[in-house]
Amino acid sequence: MEELLFIRQEVAPALLRGLWVSIQLIVPSAICGLILGIIAGVLRVYGGPLLRRIAGLYVLFFRGFPLLVQLYLWYFGLPRIGIYLSPFVAAFFGFTFCSGAYHSEYVRGALLSIKAGQQLAAQSLGFSKFKTIFSIILPQAVRRALPGCGNELIYLIKYSSLAYMVTCIELTGEGKILASSYFKYTEIFFIVGGVYLVLVSFATWILNSVEDRVSIPGFERPQEGKRK
Amino acid sequence: MTNQHPVLKAENINKRYGNQEILKGVSFELNRGDIKCLIGPSGSGKSTLLHCINFLVQFDEGRIWFNGSEVNYARKHDLYAYRQKIGMIFQDFNLFDHLTALRNVQVGLVRVRKMPKKEARNRALVELERVGLKDHVMKYPAELSGGQKQRVSIARALAMDPEVMLLDEPTSALDPELIGEVHSVIQDLARGGMTMMLVTHEIGFAGSLAKEFLFMDEGVILEQGPPERILSNAECDRTREFCAKINQLHRGSG
Repeated sequence: MEELLFIRQEVAPALLRGLWVSIQLIVPSAICGLILGIIAGVLRVYGGPLLRRIAGLYVLFFRGFPLLVQLYLWYFGLPRIGIYLSPFVAAFFGFTFCSGAYHSEYVRGALLSIKAGQQLAAQSLGFSKFKTIFSIILPQAVRRALPGCGNELIYLIKYSSLAYMVTCIELTGEGKILASSYFKYTEIFFIVGGVYLVLVSFATWILNSVEDRVSIPGFERPQEGKRK
Repeated sequence: MTNQHPVLKAENINKRYGNQEILKGVSFELNRGDIKCLIGPSGSGKSTLLHCINFLVQFDEGRIWFNGSEVNYARKHDLYAYRQKIGMIFQDFNLFDHLTALRNVQVGLVRVRKMPKKEARNRALVELERVGLKDHVMKYPAELSGGQKQRVSIARALAMDPEVMLLDEPTSALDPELIGEVHSVIQDLARGGMTMMLVTHEIGFAGSLAKEFLFMDEGVILEQGPPERILSNAECDRTREFCAKINQLHRGSG
């Protein structure tokens, strides 16, 4: 009984507050990261030599540096050159740039998997290179990249828990504070983990319905014998 | 109509990949209503030549005139406008896999010619009906047979109102039962007076269609003339050798 009361009065409000911060962090980072990833992926495949190199360097650094190190650089490093980011904004940039780098790899692979002949066909109809990419190649590539990008989004949900390392107190941060002040690590972190599990399940459900939504003959999502 | 210029004229087209010469100074002319057929062994440069005409392959030397004026491919706007006037049919169809048959035909009208969607849709329906696919307009490429796909690709090219059609082995990826339906569409085009350049190994079909055969080998047009003469009475040894093989096959199958 006492436990329940403790959860209701102390744990729930704090974790809900943290959850809300997490969601505010995850959703924009996911969207901006995906857009950044598509841009970087397209540049790496279709860009001129310079753009290709810039996009390549971007991926090299943001995939190569540990995310925690990146967060420290955004938050503690940038003030050295006079740029001060709030913890939230630093975390947002950290997540966006990191997930963009991973997305770009999925997008690049998907772009390369689209038969080159379709590009020739579009050009022979008078499509410019830009129009070919955006109305013919990308719509197909995005469908192909969706499973990989979805995986990255799921991953983002969980690495958003690093935000508290730069004092952006989200779900894990609130959990950490609660756990250490009441010395109930096991219970609190089980609950925190459970909340992430719920978030991930929800995201999986959304991703699956998006995949079904954009599924067309020739681009089906492989399913366990469910397809008509 | 326009004038006495050839619709399409290519002069001295050269193309190298590394130090391998694919095309060694190829020239030809197409007058309005001409149907010319390129024959020759694989690797002789026939396909590359067709791709060069459309600047899908950038050649190293040479010039191309369309209706009497030289095509300036460096000016993107001119190049895109020119390509709309040159319909291209590929061996492996190259349909846009994420679009229905209808939208495959519609997309060029909307994106390139800026036609309103509804008008483009109607035009696409007309073209698909013309190639006998009225009942399949809502199907995706993955749901169509090879012959149907190739007919969609012909409809797609025709929707742009081309003045010349380039057909690169349009039936070589099809089984014998499907070849006929594509051939009859091409015959309809010929009857309608379309100017065409065709690469094919279907000599019988080409012979009934084309006024002239161009025999290509190792990057040059060795010989050209009426189909009967090229097939049975060629001047060059190489042409005779190739045509003897074809005739042999042809008699064998017919």
